[in-house]
Amino acid sequence: MRKPVVSSRVFQSLPCLHSFHTSSNLEKVVAGRVKVSKGEKPVTYEKANFPFQIGVRKSWNSHHTGNLEDEDGAAERTLEDFFIRKFIDGTLHQCLATDLIIKRRANRIFLVAIMLRRLPPQKFYFLIGYTEELLSHWFKCPVKMEVQIVDEKPIYKWL
Amino acid sequence: MMCCRMAASQRKLQQFSLSFWSYSHLRYQLTKKQVCRHHGSLVSTSLPDVDSEIEKVSVHSLRGKAMRAMQDRLRKRHPMPSSRENRMAEDQDWTNVYPTAASFKWSAVPLSVRMGYPVNRGIPPHKLGNAELLKIPNFLHLTPLAIKKHCAALKGFCTKWPDGLNTDELCDEHFPVAIETSDYVFSSPSLRCPKARLVQVKLKLSKLPLDKHARWKLIQLVGDLYNKETDELCISADRCPVKQQNLDYAMYLLSVLFHEAHITEPWEETEQTEEDMEEYTWESGKREENLMRIKRRMHNKEISSAEEELKTAYTQVCNNKETSESIGSYKRAVLNLFGLKEPAPET
Repeated sequence: MRKPVVSSRVFQSLPCLHSFHTSSNLEKVVAGRVKVSKGEKPVTYEKANFPFQIGVRKSWNSHHTGNLEDEDGAAERTLEDFFIRKFIDGTLHQCLATDLIIKRRANRIFLVAIMLRRLPPQKFYFLIGYTEELLSHWFKCPVKMEVQIVDEKPIYKWL
Repeated sequence: MMCCRMAASQRKLQQFSLSFWSYSHLRYQLTKKQVCRHHGSLVSTSLPDVDSEIEKVSVHSLRGKAMRAMQDRLRKRHPMPSSRENRMAEDQDWTNVYPTAASFKWSAVPLSVRMGYPVNRGIPPHKLGNAELLKIPNFLHLTPLAIKKHCAALKGFCTKWPDGLNTDELCDEHFPVAIETSDYVFSSPSLRCPKARLVQVKLKLSKLPLDKHARWKLIQLVGDLYNKETDELCISADRCPVKQQNLDYAMYLLSVLFHEAHITEPWEETEQTEEDMEEYTWESGKREENLMRIKRRMHNKEISSAEEELKTAYTQVCNNKETSESIGSYKRAVLNLFGLKEPAPET
Protein backbone atom coordinates (compact mmCIF):
# COMPACT_ATOMS: atom_id res chain seq x y z
CA MET A 1 0.00 0.00 0.00
CA ARG A 2 1.27 3.41 -0.97
CA LYS A 3 1.55 5.94 1.84
CA PRO A 4 0.60 9.60 1.30
CA VAL A 5 3.60 11.84 0.94
CA VAL A 6 2.22 14.60 3.14
CA SER A 7 0.62 13.61 6.41
CA SER A 8 -3.11 14.05 6.67
CA ARG A 9 -2.74 16.45 9.59
CA VAL A 10 -1.23 19.05 7.25
CA PHE A 11 -4.23 18.79 4.93
CA GLN A 12 -6.66 19.11 7.79
CA SER A 13 -4.98 22.26 8.99
CA LEU A 14 -5.10 23.92 5.57
CA PRO A 15 -8.62 25.20 4.82
CA CYS A 16 -8.06 25.34 1.04
CA LEU A 17 -7.21 21.61 0.87
CA HIS A 18 -9.96 20.46 3.17
CA SER A 19 -11.67 18.23 0.62
CA PHE A 20 -8.49 16.66 -0.77
CA HIS A 21 -8.49 12.86 -0.38
CA THR A 22 -5.22 10.97 -0.04
CA SER A 23 -6.07 7.29 -0.30
CA SER A 24 -4.20 4.86 -2.52
CA ASN A 25 -5.98 4.07 -5.77
CA LEU A 26 -7.83 0.79 -6.23
CA GLU A 27 -6.42 -0.63 -9.46
CA LYS A 28 -9.34 -2.90 -10.30
CA VAL A 29 -10.05 -3.81 -13.89
CA VAL A 30 -13.80 -4.00 -14.46
CA ALA A 31 -14.34 -3.22 -18.15
CA GLY A 32 -15.67 -6.06 -20.30
CA ARG A 33 -15.92 -8.53 -17.40
CA VAL A 34 -18.98 -10.32 -16.08
CA LYS A 35 -19.20 -10.17 -12.33
CA VAL A 36 -18.98 -13.69 -10.98
CA SER A 37 -21.98 -14.73 -8.88
CA LYS A 38 -22.91 -18.11 -7.38
CA GLY A 39 -23.46 -19.73 -10.74
CA GLU A 40 -26.97 -18.56 -11.51
CA LYS A 41 -25.94 -16.19 -14.29
CA PRO A 42 -26.09 -17.68 -17.82
CA VAL A 43 -23.17 -16.28 -19.86
CA THR A 44 -22.41 -16.53 -23.57
CA TYR A 45 -18.98 -17.49 -24.91
CA GLU A 46 -18.30 -13.87 -25.82
CA LYS A 47 -18.94 -12.65 -22.26
CA ALA A 48 -17.36 -15.59 -20.47
CA ASN A 49 -13.97 -14.90 -22.04
CA PHE A 50 -12.62 -11.62 -20.74
CA PRO A 51 -11.04 -8.97 -23.00
CA PHE A 52 -7.48 -10.25 -22.59
CA GLN A 53 -8.58 -13.46 -24.34
CA ILE A 54 -9.27 -11.59 -27.60
CA GLY A 55 -7.08 -13.17 -30.25
CA VAL A 56 -6.50 -16.20 -27.98
CA ARG A 57 -9.84 -17.85 -27.18
CA LYS A 58 -12.20 -15.47 -28.94
CA SER A 59 -11.91 -13.36 -32.06
CA TRP A 60 -12.53 -9.67 -32.71
CA ASN A 61 -16.09 -8.40 -33.14
CA SER A 62 -15.12 -6.01 -35.88
CA HIS A 63 -12.99 -7.07 -38.84
CA HIS A 64 -11.42 -4.46 -41.13
CA THR A 65 -8.02 -3.53 -42.56
CA GLY A 66 -7.73 -0.33 -40.51
CA ASN A 67 -6.30 -2.30 -37.59
CA LEU A 68 -3.45 -3.76 -39.66
CA GLU A 69 0.05 -2.28 -39.61
CA ASP A 70 0.67 0.88 -41.67
CA GLU A 71 -3.00 1.24 -42.59
CA ASP A 72 -5.16 4.32 -42.21
CA GLY A 73 -8.70 4.77 -40.95
CA ALA A 74 -8.78 2.87 -37.63
CA ALA A 75 -10.37 5.81 -35.83
CA GLU A 76 -13.05 6.38 -38.49
CA ARG A 77 -13.96 2.66 -38.57
CA THR A 78 -14.22 2.55 -34.77
CA LEU A 79 -16.56 5.52 -34.69
CA GLU A 80 -18.71 3.98 -37.44
CA ASP A 81 -18.82 0.69 -35.53
CA PHE A 82 -19.95 2.48 -32.40
CA PHE A 83 -22.79 4.12 -34.31
CA ILE A 84 -23.83 0.87 -36.03
CA ARG A 85 -23.94 -1.02 -32.72
CA LYS A 86 -26.06 1.69 -31.09
CA PHE A 87 -28.38 1.75 -34.10
CA ILE A 88 -28.91 -2.03 -34.18
CA ASP A 89 -29.37 -2.10 -30.43
CA GLY A 90 -32.21 0.39 -30.72
CA THR A 91 -33.77 -0.87 -33.95
CA LEU A 92 -33.88 -4.58 -33.16
CA HIS A 93 -34.36 -3.97 -29.47
CA GLN A 94 -33.48 -6.88 -27.14
CA CYS A 95 -33.23 -9.26 -30.13
CA LEU A 96 -29.46 -9.70 -30.19
CA ALA A 97 -28.40 -13.00 -28.63
CA THR A 98 -24.68 -12.15 -28.77
CA ASP A 99 -22.73 -9.05 -29.75
CA LEU A 100 -23.02 -7.75 -33.29
CA ILE A 101 -20.20 -8.81 -35.62
CA ILE A 102 -19.17 -6.18 -38.16
CA LYS A 103 -17.16 -7.35 -41.16
CA ARG A 104 -15.88 -5.02 -43.85
CA ARG A 105 -14.94 -6.28 -47.29
CA ALA A 106 -13.66 -3.50 -49.59
CA ASN A 107 -16.37 -0.81 -49.39
CA ARG A 108 -19.13 -3.14 -48.19
CA ILE A 109 -20.20 -3.56 -44.57
CA PHE A 110 -21.64 -6.90 -43.42
CA LEU A 111 -23.52 -6.99 -40.13
CA VAL A 112 -23.63 -10.53 -38.82
CA ALA A 113 -26.06 -11.07 -35.96
CA ILE A 114 -27.45 -13.96 -33.98
CA MET A 115 -30.99 -12.97 -33.04
CA LEU A 116 -33.66 -14.24 -30.66
CA ARG A 117 -37.24 -14.99 -31.67
CA ARG A 118 -38.67 -11.89 -30.01
CA LEU A 119 -40.42 -10.50 -33.11
CA PRO A 120 -42.62 -12.03 -35.81
CA PRO A 121 -40.75 -12.80 -39.07
CA GLN A 122 -42.54 -10.01 -41.00
CA LYS A 123 -41.22 -7.41 -38.56
CA PHE A 124 -37.76 -8.93 -38.77
CA TYR A 125 -37.80 -8.68 -42.57
CA PHE A 126 -38.95 -5.08 -42.44
CA LEU A 127 -36.39 -4.03 -39.83
CA ILE A 128 -33.53 -5.72 -41.67
CA GLY A 129 -34.41 -3.90 -44.90
CA TYR A 130 -34.89 -0.65 -43.00
CA THR A 131 -31.49 -1.00 -41.31
CA GLU A 132 -29.70 -1.82 -44.56
CA GLU A 133 -31.31 1.07 -46.40
CA LEU A 134 -30.67 3.71 -43.73
CA LEU A 135 -27.11 2.66 -42.93
CA SER A 136 -26.22 2.48 -46.66
CA HIS A 137 -27.57 6.00 -47.06
CA TRP A 138 -25.55 7.35 -44.13
CA PHE A 139 -22.27 5.60 -44.82
CA LYS A 140 -22.56 5.99 -48.63
CA CYS A 141 -21.66 2.33 -49.14
CA PRO A 142 -23.58 -0.97 -49.38
CA VAL A 143 -24.57 -2.42 -45.99
CA LYS A 144 -25.83 -6.02 -45.75
CA MET A 145 -27.23 -7.92 -42.79
CA GLU A 146 -26.76 -11.65 -42.25
CA VAL A 147 -29.17 -12.69 -39.53
CA GLN A 148 -29.46 -16.14 -37.98
CA ILE A 149 -32.11 -17.05 -35.42
CA VAL A 150 -31.80 -19.08 -32.22
CA ASP A 151 -34.35 -20.04 -29.57
CA GLU A 152 -32.41 -18.89 -26.52
CA LYS A 153 -29.12 -17.19 -25.84
CA PRO A 154 -26.36 -19.71 -26.61
CA ILE A 155 -25.17 -20.33 -23.05
CA TYR A 156 -21.55 -21.28 -22.61
CA LYS A 157 -21.46 -21.54 -18.84
CA TRP A 158 -23.11 -20.38 -15.65
CA LEU A 159 -21.06 -17.87 -13.74
CA MET B 1 -33.85 -34.57 -19.20
CA MET B 2 -35.61 -32.78 -22.03
CA CYS B 3 -33.76 -34.86 -24.56
CA CYS B 4 -34.64 -38.13 -22.81
CA ARG B 5 -38.29 -37.23 -22.51
CA MET B 6 -38.56 -36.13 -26.10
CA ALA B 7 -36.83 -39.27 -27.28
CA ALA B 8 -39.13 -41.46 -25.18
CA SER B 9 -42.27 -39.72 -26.38
CA GLN B 10 -41.09 -39.94 -29.97
CA ARG B 11 -40.44 -43.66 -29.62
CA LYS B 12 -43.96 -44.16 -28.32
CA LEU B 13 -45.32 -42.03 -31.13
CA GLN B 14 -43.45 -44.03 -33.72
CA GLN B 15 -44.73 -47.35 -32.38
CA PHE B 16 -48.21 -45.97 -32.34
CA SER B 17 -48.16 -44.22 -35.62
CA LEU B 18 -46.32 -46.63 -37.89
CA SER B 19 -49.51 -48.24 -39.11
CA PHE B 20 -51.53 -45.03 -39.54
CA TRP B 21 -49.25 -42.15 -40.39
CA SER B 22 -47.56 -41.49 -43.62
CA TYR B 23 -43.88 -42.17 -44.08
CA SER B 24 -43.07 -38.49 -44.48
CA HIS B 25 -44.41 -37.61 -41.06
CA LEU B 26 -42.32 -40.36 -39.50
CA ARG B 27 -39.30 -38.98 -41.22
CA TYR B 28 -40.01 -35.53 -39.80
CA GLN B 29 -40.14 -36.98 -36.29
CA LEU B 30 -36.88 -38.78 -36.82
CA THR B 31 -35.08 -35.67 -38.05
CA LYS B 32 -36.28 -33.74 -35.01
CA LYS B 33 -34.81 -36.40 -32.79
CA GLN B 34 -31.55 -36.28 -34.68
CA VAL B 35 -31.32 -32.52 -34.26
CA CYS B 36 -31.83 -32.81 -30.50
CA ARG B 37 -29.15 -35.43 -30.14
CA HIS B 38 -26.82 -33.51 -32.39
CA HIS B 39 -26.77 -30.25 -30.46
CA GLY B 40 -27.35 -31.58 -26.96
CA SER B 41 -29.25 -29.14 -24.79
CA LEU B 42 -29.54 -25.40 -25.14
CA VAL B 43 -28.94 -24.99 -21.42
CA SER B 44 -25.23 -25.25 -22.15
CA THR B 45 -23.51 -25.32 -25.52
CA SER B 46 -20.30 -26.76 -24.15
CA LEU B 47 -21.15 -29.63 -21.80
CA PRO B 48 -21.60 -33.03 -23.43
CA ASP B 49 -24.28 -34.30 -21.06
CA VAL B 50 -26.30 -31.39 -19.76
CA ASP B 51 -29.34 -33.33 -18.58
CA SER B 52 -27.46 -35.23 -15.91
CA GLU B 53 -25.68 -31.99 -15.08
CA ILE B 54 -28.99 -30.32 -14.25
CA GLU B 55 -30.04 -33.20 -12.03
CA LYS B 56 -26.82 -32.94 -10.07
CA VAL B 57 -27.51 -29.29 -9.25
CA SER B 58 -29.70 -28.83 -6.16
CA VAL B 59 -33.31 -27.71 -6.76
CA HIS B 60 -32.95 -25.11 -4.02
CA SER B 61 -29.74 -23.51 -5.28
CA LEU B 62 -30.00 -20.37 -7.33
CA ARG B 63 -28.23 -22.02 -10.22
CA GLY B 64 -30.58 -25.01 -10.23
CA LYS B 65 -33.59 -22.72 -10.17
CA ALA B 66 -32.29 -20.64 -13.04
CA MET B 67 -31.45 -23.71 -15.15
CA ARG B 68 -34.82 -25.34 -14.55
CA ALA B 69 -36.66 -22.10 -15.30
CA MET B 70 -34.88 -21.89 -18.61
CA GLN B 71 -35.73 -25.49 -19.44
CA ASP B 72 -39.39 -24.88 -18.66
CA ARG B 73 -39.38 -21.80 -20.83
CA LEU B 74 -37.87 -23.74 -23.71
CA ARG B 75 -40.33 -26.60 -23.33
CA LYS B 76 -43.31 -24.25 -23.64
CA ARG B 77 -42.18 -22.71 -26.92
CA HIS B 78 -43.02 -23.96 -30.38
CA PRO B 79 -39.99 -25.76 -31.77
CA MET B 80 -37.99 -24.10 -34.51
CA PRO B 81 -38.65 -25.46 -38.00
CA SER B 82 -36.19 -28.17 -39.03
CA SER B 83 -33.04 -26.69 -40.49
CA ARG B 84 -32.02 -26.82 -44.12
CA GLU B 85 -29.20 -29.29 -43.55
CA ASN B 86 -31.77 -32.03 -42.84
CA ARG B 87 -33.48 -31.51 -46.18
CA MET B 88 -30.32 -31.52 -48.28
CA ALA B 89 -29.82 -34.19 -50.92
CA GLU B 90 -26.51 -36.01 -50.81
CA ASP B 91 -25.71 -35.28 -54.47
CA GLN B 92 -26.67 -31.59 -54.39
CA ASP B 93 -24.66 -28.87 -56.09
CA TRP B 94 -22.74 -27.20 -53.24
CA THR B 95 -22.07 -24.06 -55.28
CA ASN B 96 -25.81 -23.29 -55.05
CA VAL B 97 -25.68 -23.42 -51.24
CA TYR B 98 -22.70 -21.05 -51.01
CA PRO B 99 -22.64 -19.09 -54.30
CA THR B 100 -20.63 -16.13 -52.90
CA ALA B 101 -18.62 -15.24 -49.81
CA ALA B 102 -20.90 -15.41 -46.78
CA SER B 103 -20.61 -16.06 -43.06
CA PHE B 104 -20.98 -19.56 -41.70
CA LYS B 105 -24.65 -20.68 -41.59
CA TRP B 106 -25.18 -23.54 -39.16
CA SER B 107 -28.47 -24.44 -40.78
CA ALA B 108 -26.89 -24.78 -44.24
CA VAL B 109 -23.65 -26.60 -43.47
CA PRO B 110 -24.30 -30.32 -42.82
CA LEU B 111 -21.16 -30.79 -40.71
CA SER B 112 -21.00 -31.19 -36.95
CA VAL B 113 -18.43 -28.42 -36.50
CA ARG B 114 -17.42 -27.31 -33.02
CA MET B 115 -15.38 -24.25 -32.15
CA GLY B 116 -14.21 -22.54 -28.96
CA TYR B 117 -12.36 -23.21 -25.73
CA PRO B 118 -14.11 -25.98 -23.77
CA VAL B 119 -15.34 -25.51 -20.21
CA ASN B 120 -13.98 -27.73 -17.50
CA ARG B 121 -14.95 -31.38 -18.22
CA GLY B 122 -16.62 -30.14 -21.40
CA ILE B 123 -16.16 -30.07 -25.14
CA PRO B 124 -15.94 -27.09 -27.54
CA PRO B 125 -19.32 -25.39 -28.11
CA HIS B 126 -21.43 -26.73 -30.99
CA LYS B 127 -22.22 -24.77 -34.12
CA LEU B 128 -25.78 -23.64 -33.22
CA GLY B 129 -25.54 -20.01 -32.17
CA ASN B 130 -21.74 -20.11 -32.07
CA ALA B 131 -20.55 -16.57 -32.74
CA GLU B 132 -16.91 -17.62 -33.08
CA LEU B 133 -17.76 -19.59 -36.21
CA LEU B 134 -19.39 -16.50 -37.71
CA LYS B 135 -16.42 -14.26 -36.99
CA ILE B 136 -13.79 -16.22 -38.88
CA PRO B 137 -13.59 -16.01 -42.67
CA ASN B 138 -14.49 -19.24 -44.44
CA PHE B 139 -13.83 -20.76 -47.84
CA LEU B 140 -17.13 -22.58 -48.26
CA HIS B 141 -17.80 -20.57 -51.43
CA LEU B 142 -14.36 -21.39 -52.89
CA THR B 143 -14.63 -25.13 -53.44
CA PRO B 144 -12.70 -26.55 -56.42
CA LEU B 145 -15.95 -26.92 -58.34
CA ALA B 146 -16.84 -23.25 -57.74
CA ILE B 147 -13.41 -22.11 -58.95
CA LYS B 148 -13.81 -24.24 -62.08
CA LYS B 149 -17.16 -22.60 -62.72
CA HIS B 150 -15.69 -19.11 -62.24
CA CYS B 151 -12.88 -19.88 -64.67
CA ALA B 152 -15.32 -21.21 -67.26
CA ALA B 153 -17.42 -18.05 -66.92
CA LEU B 154 -14.37 -15.77 -67.20
CA LYS B 155 -12.97 -17.59 -70.24
CA GLY B 156 -15.37 -15.77 -72.55
CA PHE B 157 -13.85 -12.41 -71.58
CA CYS B 158 -10.19 -13.44 -72.08
CA THR B 159 -8.23 -12.57 -75.23
CA LYS B 160 -5.38 -14.57 -76.75
CA TRP B 161 -1.81 -13.63 -75.75
CA PRO B 162 -0.05 -12.05 -78.77
CA ASP B 163 2.18 -14.45 -80.72
CA GLY B 164 5.32 -12.33 -80.97
CA LEU B 165 5.58 -11.67 -77.19
CA ASN B 166 6.36 -15.09 -75.79
CA THR B 167 9.48 -14.14 -73.81
CA ASP B 168 10.36 -11.23 -71.51
CA GLU B 169 13.16 -10.14 -73.88
CA LEU B 170 10.69 -9.80 -76.78
CA CYS B 171 8.30 -7.82 -74.56
CA ASP B 172 11.13 -5.44 -73.54
CA GLU B 173 12.14 -5.01 -77.16
CA HIS B 174 8.68 -4.09 -78.45
CA PHE B 175 7.53 -2.18 -75.36
CA PRO B 176 10.63 -0.46 -73.90
CA VAL B 177 8.71 1.93 -71.60
CA ALA B 178 7.45 0.18 -68.44
CA ILE B 179 4.84 1.96 -66.29
CA GLU B 180 4.47 0.79 -62.69
CA THR B 181 1.37 1.67 -60.66
CA SER B 182 -0.26 0.13 -57.58
CA ASP B 183 -3.88 -0.36 -56.60
CA TYR B 184 -4.80 -0.82 -52.95
CA VAL B 185 -7.60 -2.94 -51.48
CA PHE B 186 -8.77 -1.85 -48.05
CA SER B 187 -11.98 -1.52 -46.09
CA SER B 188 -13.45 1.94 -46.14
CA PRO B 189 -16.57 3.57 -47.61
CA SER B 190 -14.31 5.13 -50.26
CA LEU B 191 -12.47 3.01 -52.83
CA ARG B 192 -9.82 5.65 -53.46
CA CYS B 193 -6.48 5.28 -51.69
CA PRO B 194 -4.16 8.31 -51.63
CA LYS B 195 -1.16 5.99 -52.04
CA ALA B 196 -2.43 4.81 -55.44
CA ARG B 197 -1.43 8.07 -57.15
CA LEU B 198 2.29 7.13 -57.39
CA VAL B 199 3.45 6.36 -60.95
CA GLN B 200 6.88 5.07 -61.98
CA VAL B 201 8.05 5.16 -65.59
CA LYS B 202 11.08 2.95 -66.31
CA LEU B 203 13.10 2.88 -69.49
CA LYS B 204 16.48 1.54 -70.67
CA LEU B 205 18.58 4.43 -72.03
CA SER B 206 19.98 2.17 -74.77
CA LYS B 207 16.45 1.97 -76.24
CA LEU B 208 16.36 5.75 -76.89
CA PRO B 209 17.88 7.13 -80.14
CA LEU B 210 20.63 9.22 -78.51
CA ASP B 211 24.10 10.16 -79.76
CA LYS B 212 27.08 10.26 -77.40
CA HIS B 213 26.62 13.91 -76.38
CA ALA B 214 22.86 13.63 -75.93
CA ARG B 215 23.16 10.48 -73.82
CA TRP B 216 25.72 12.06 -71.50
CA LYS B 217 23.70 15.26 -71.23
CA LEU B 218 20.54 13.29 -70.36
CA ILE B 219 22.41 11.42 -67.63
CA GLN B 220 23.73 14.72 -66.23
CA LEU B 221 20.21 16.21 -66.28
CA VAL B 222 18.41 13.37 -64.49
CA GLY B 223 21.08 12.85 -61.80
CA ASP B 224 20.03 10.13 -59.31
CA LEU B 225 17.16 8.89 -61.49
CA TYR B 226 19.62 7.02 -63.72
CA ASN B 227 20.95 3.67 -62.55
CA LYS B 228 24.36 3.04 -64.13
CA GLU B 229 24.45 -0.71 -63.39
CA THR B 230 21.16 -1.52 -65.13
CA ASP B 231 21.29 1.40 -67.63
CA GLU B 232 17.78 2.23 -66.47
CA LEU B 233 16.09 5.61 -66.16
CA CYS B 234 13.30 5.68 -63.53
CA ILE B 235 10.99 8.70 -63.32
CA SER B 236 8.51 8.65 -60.43
CA ALA B 237 5.71 11.19 -60.05
CA ASP B 238 3.38 11.66 -57.07
CA ARG B 239 2.72 15.40 -56.96
CA CYS B 240 -0.76 15.33 -58.54
CA PRO B 241 -3.77 13.82 -56.72
CA VAL B 242 -4.79 11.39 -59.48
CA LYS B 243 -2.83 8.55 -61.11
CA GLN B 244 -3.59 9.66 -64.67
CA GLN B 245 -2.29 13.18 -64.01
CA ASN B 246 0.93 11.79 -62.58
CA LEU B 247 1.36 9.49 -65.56
CA ASP B 248 0.86 12.43 -67.94
CA TYR B 249 3.40 14.45 -65.98
CA ALA B 250 5.99 11.65 -66.04
CA MET B 251 5.61 11.19 -69.79
CA TYR B 252 5.90 14.96 -70.26
CA LEU B 253 9.11 14.96 -68.21
CA LEU B 254 10.50 12.13 -70.31
CA SER B 255 9.83 13.91 -73.61
CA VAL B 256 11.24 17.21 -72.32
CA LEU B 257 14.41 15.48 -71.13
CA PHE B 258 14.78 13.71 -74.48
CA HIS B 259 14.53 16.93 -76.49
CA GLU B 260 16.67 18.95 -74.09
CA ALA B 261 19.43 16.33 -74.35
CA HIS B 262 19.69 16.88 -78.10
CA ILE B 263 20.31 20.62 -77.76
CA THR B 264 23.95 21.71 -77.57
CA GLU B 265 24.36 25.06 -75.86
CA PRO B 266 27.33 27.31 -76.91
CA TRP B 267 28.86 27.23 -73.39
CA GLU B 268 28.95 23.43 -73.46
CA GLU B 269 31.81 23.48 -76.01
CA THR B 270 33.91 26.24 -74.43
CA GLU B 271 33.47 25.73 -70.71
CA GLN B 272 33.58 21.98 -70.43
CA THR B 273 36.32 20.73 -68.12
CA GLU B 274 37.82 17.31 -67.55
CA GLU B 275 35.41 16.66 -64.66
CA ASP B 276 32.36 17.12 -66.91
CA MET B 277 33.35 14.27 -69.23
CA GLU B 278 31.67 10.90 -68.97
CA GLU B 279 34.99 9.06 -69.30
CA TYR B 280 38.65 10.05 -69.38
CA THR B 281 40.46 10.03 -72.72
CA TRP B 282 44.19 10.64 -73.05
CA GLU B 283 43.68 13.22 -75.79
CA SER B 284 41.29 15.38 -73.76
CA GLY B 285 43.50 15.83 -70.72
CA LYS B 286 46.72 17.73 -70.00
CA ARG B 287 48.80 14.54 -69.48
CA GLU B 288 50.03 14.75 -73.07
CA GLU B 289 51.85 18.07 -72.33
CA ASN B 290 53.38 16.72 -69.14
CA LEU B 291 54.64 13.66 -70.96
CA MET B 292 56.20 15.82 -73.70
CA ARG B 293 58.00 17.86 -71.01
CA ILE B 294 59.37 14.72 -69.43
CA LYS B 295 60.51 13.45 -72.80
CA ARG B 296 62.35 16.72 -73.47
CA ARG B 297 64.16 16.49 -70.14
CA MET B 298 65.23 12.97 -70.90
CA HIS B 299 66.73 14.13 -74.23
CA ASN B 300 64.09 12.41 -76.39
CA LYS B 301 65.06 8.92 -75.43
CA GLU B 302 63.15 6.11 -77.16
CA ILE B 303 60.28 5.44 -74.75
CA SER B 304 57.32 4.84 -77.09
CA SER B 305 56.50 1.38 -75.64
CA ALA B 306 56.52 2.74 -72.09
CA GLU B 307 54.37 5.67 -73.28
CA GLU B 308 51.69 3.36 -74.66
CA GLU B 309 51.69 1.35 -71.45
CA LEU B 310 51.27 4.49 -69.36
CA LYS B 311 48.36 5.68 -71.54
CA THR B 312 46.38 2.45 -71.15
CA ALA B 313 47.17 2.09 -67.43
CA TYR B 314 46.22 5.67 -66.59
CA THR B 315 42.94 5.54 -68.58
CA GLN B 316 42.12 2.26 -66.85
CA VAL B 317 42.59 3.85 -63.40
CA CYS B 318 40.51 6.92 -64.27
CA ASN B 319 37.56 5.19 -65.91
CA ASN B 320 37.16 2.05 -63.82
CA LYS B 321 36.93 1.33 -60.15
CA GLU B 322 40.30 1.46 -58.40
CA THR B 323 41.74 -1.97 -57.71
CA SER B 324 45.17 -3.03 -56.50
CA GLU B 325 45.88 -4.53 -59.96
CA SER B 326 45.09 -1.31 -61.87
CA ILE B 327 47.10 0.82 -59.41
CA GLY B 328 49.95 -1.69 -59.64
CA SER B 329 50.02 -1.59 -63.44
CA TYR B 330 49.99 2.23 -63.37
CA LYS B 331 52.94 2.16 -60.96
CA ARG B 332 54.86 -0.26 -63.20
CA ALA B 333 54.17 1.95 -66.23
CA VAL B 334 55.56 5.06 -64.49
CA LEU B 335 58.67 3.18 -63.33
CA ASN B 336 59.23 1.90 -66.86
CA LEU B 337 58.89 5.40 -68.26
CA PHE B 338 61.66 6.71 -66.04
CA GLY B 339 63.74 3.59 -66.52
CA LEU B 340 63.68 2.71 -62.84
CA LYS B 341 63.67 -0.71 -61.25
CA GLU B 342 60.85 -1.91 -59.07
CA PRO B 343 61.94 -1.83 -55.42
CA ALA B 344 62.33 -5.24 -53.81
CA PRO B 345 59.47 -6.14 -51.49
CA GLU B 346 60.23 -5.46 -47.86
CA THR B 347 60.99 -8.51 -45.82
